[in-house]
Amino acid sequence: MHLRDPRLFLPILLLLSACRPDPPVPPSPPVDPPIDTTGTDTTGTLRITLVPTWEGEPFERFTEYSNFMDYRVTVELLKMYFGDVRLIQGEDTLVVKDVDLFDLGDGNVSADWPVQTGSWTKLRAALGVPDTLNYADPANYGPGHPLNVSNATYWHWAIGYRYVMFEGRYDTDPESTEPLITAYAIHPGMGPSYVEFELLPTGGISIAEDEVTELVVQVAVDRFFHSDAYTIDLATENTAHGDNLPLQLKLVNNVIASFSVE
Amino acid sequence: MSKYLYIPVALLAITACRKDPGVPIAEMDSPFPLLLPAGSPFPETPSDNPLTTASVQLGKALFFDKRLSRDGTVSCASCHLPDHAFSDITAVSTGIEGRMGERNSPTLANVAYHQNYFRDGGVPTLEQQAIAPIHDDNEMDHDIHAVAAELREEEPFAKLSMLAYGKPMDGWVVTRALASYQRTLISGWSRWDRWMQGDAQALTPAEVRGWQLFNSNSLGCTNCHDGFDLKDHDFHNIGLYSEYADPGRARITLDPADEGKFKTPTLRNITLTAPYMHDGSMATLEEVMDHYAMGGHPHPNLSHLMRDFTLNAKDKADVIAFLNALTDDRSLDQVP
Repeated sequence: MHLRDPRLFLPILLLLSACRPDPPVPPSPPVDPPIDTTGTDTTGTLRITLVPTWEGEPFERFTEYSNFMDYRVTVELLKMYFGDVRLIQGEDTLVVKDVDLFDLGDGNVSADWPVQTGSWTKLRAALGVPDTLNYADPANYGPGHPLNVSNATYWHWAIGYRYVMFEGRYDTDPESTEPLITAYAIHPGMGPSYVEFELLPTGGISIAEDEVTELVVQVAVDRFFHSDAYTIDLATENTAHGDNLPLQLKLVNNVIASFSVE
Repeated sequence: MSKYLYIPVALLAITACRKDPGVPIAEMDSPFPLLLPAGSPFPETPSDNPLTTASVQLGKALFFDKRLSRDGTVSCASCHLPDHAFSDITAVSTGIEGRMGERNSPTLANVAYHQNYFRDGGVPTLEQQAIAPIHDDNEMDHDIHAVAAELREEEPFAKLSMLAYGKPMDGWVVTRALASYQRTLISGWSRWDRWMQGDAQALTPAEVRGWQLFNSNSLGCTNCHDGFDLKDHDFHNIGLYSEYADPGRARITLDPADEGKFKTPTLRNITLTAPYMHDGSMATLEEVMDHYAMGGHPHPNLSHLMRDFTLNAKDKADVIAFLNALTDDRSLDQVP
């Protein structure tokens, strides 16, 4: 053999190229259970936008408000999961999204979900994470996934997620001018606090091909403390970390009652 | 050059650099040569995390690396000290920035055989357990994905991750590797083990008498501390308090009947793992013995197995002598 033999170039090139360092291997994609799209193409987008308000005005984190009991309150953390999101038309159900996370701390927040074209009367979901996902290994979910542990919603001392994270500070004295120090933290999860709700926009929900249909949901944060059914007195009801199920359920039901759609 | 020369060269090219992530794990690395005490079974491992030399080595490298904490000051080994059977010597451990934990750090001996983790059993697998200390505000206050991103380009992490799991280190790998290493922390080479296997000289007469007392109906210790690992995999309220600050098992089940119940700990290496109880509130084995002798404080959930008994000074000393004989003769760490 002679190195200048051109016929050697191909095998040598083959050997060299085969032994180059491997390109970086991306981390495993997050495990996202398949979504039931009932066998049809997804050709439109449903955008859901949550608009947090306080007594009708834009809600702002860390702003001092007066709640229904005239307590001085701030809200410092507000996150919530929507699970098992479906569109409903009569007996027909379309699974839209298994789970998504909304962080309302910085105001309006949206999620875009691809769905098939069609018309639907309502959206049904639950406040929380479905059991099948709630008890899966969170290490399976990579960056960007709503169940990624970096979102700081996973309990970690137990399996499962905090369905709602509602935290802030309060003072029961409405006349006080002292800084708010006493904290409240109400975290439903780990119990039967996975509660379904429905959103029924007056005109229904129509998904058109290649178009974005936006469903705007007003979230009246001031109503988290009181609804027609439940009131939360922060003086005595200020902590739930998976325990204190009565308080968990009060908050979950008040949050759901605070939703309204345009 | 003959055209046939291309065939072996091409084959060589195809096979020379096989390191692709699609290779089954079993082909990537050899099984870890785990040493087991006589009669103990090979620990069960998840199908996605077989015990291999690379996974265990990677886990050990992570276990002792303080960069698992947000400010680089706390490693797993900071609270699970190898010289103390991988437990801590303080009542509760100190995390980053001096933050205090809420429970005593237990020994990691034989965690491979546990059915659940933490003193309340809140987590079902070692893999999922690994997330908690890294993310807990009072411990490492960090993030498994951030840890992986920081370390994945470094050796030995980069090489071992590829070898063990066929991909660069990510959060998933961090949890698997830490679990793998901890599964190798096997305890079962104490003088009591040798005595149970027929070596009559392995225990002193006082230790034998202590074992007999321990195993007697009058004390009833083996009602809960029984079997290879001297525990029953169950949760009990032992009347440590009449009112518990820590709800124990009830934190997980939300059942008031579980308040104050904690997982029965192993007694292996018990001499090395002081202080005792879920909150580290007892400094010595003498205190522990006195607590059991008085039958525990009244509590609605007090275990029916708790009953008072009388021990004279010699009995007590003999039982403690037996407990001292539960210390392993060799290191729990099998990784060079």
